[in-house]
Amino acid sequence: MNTKALALLALLGCALLFTPASKAQVKHIEMRVEGMT
Amino acid sequence: MKQHLARQSGVEKVEVSLIDGKVDVTPKEDGRIDPLQLLKAVYDSGVSVAEMEVIVRGKIMKDSSGHLALQVTPNQSFTITPNDLLKSVQSLADSSAVLTIRGELYRKPAGKKKTDTSAPLKLLILDVQKKE
Repeated sequence: MNTKALALLALLGCALLFTPASKAQVKHIEMRVEGMT
Repeated sequence: MKQHLARQSGVEKVEVSLIDGKVDVTPKEDGRIDPLQLLKAVYDSGVSVAEMEVIVRGKIMKDSSGHLALQVTPNQSFTITPNDLLKSVQSLADSSAVLTIRGELYRKPAGKKKTDTSAPLKLLILDVQKKE
């Protein structure tokens, strides 16, 4: 029982920890350049 | 230039179109990429950047000086240049809403030949693509 609860807590902690990083990010960059040959 | 850009941190793929003078950069999945570093890398390759546009996801926050900024990661944010589109989303400041924005991060000042890599990049919102 305790192990189950701990595992669930760890899973929840991981989800909270990694959600902001996966939600916010630079998706694409486009540049117009001059002087390229 | 393509190889030099591909070596920069956070870059997954670089596509260069000589005809249009366009360079497309696809960041790695974690999205941890520094646009200013890319601007400098292009400049170091002997090419001048006229414009840089990004598609970016983040939250609107008020920075320490009271300006609105788009926070991409806890360590990366872009101050937003005020315009009408900012007015439509400024009510979301400091909320948990995540926005996907297409914006201009750099435009070479008129009359200047060289890319200015000294000034911090500011985000001019061109399109709000998604609010979550």
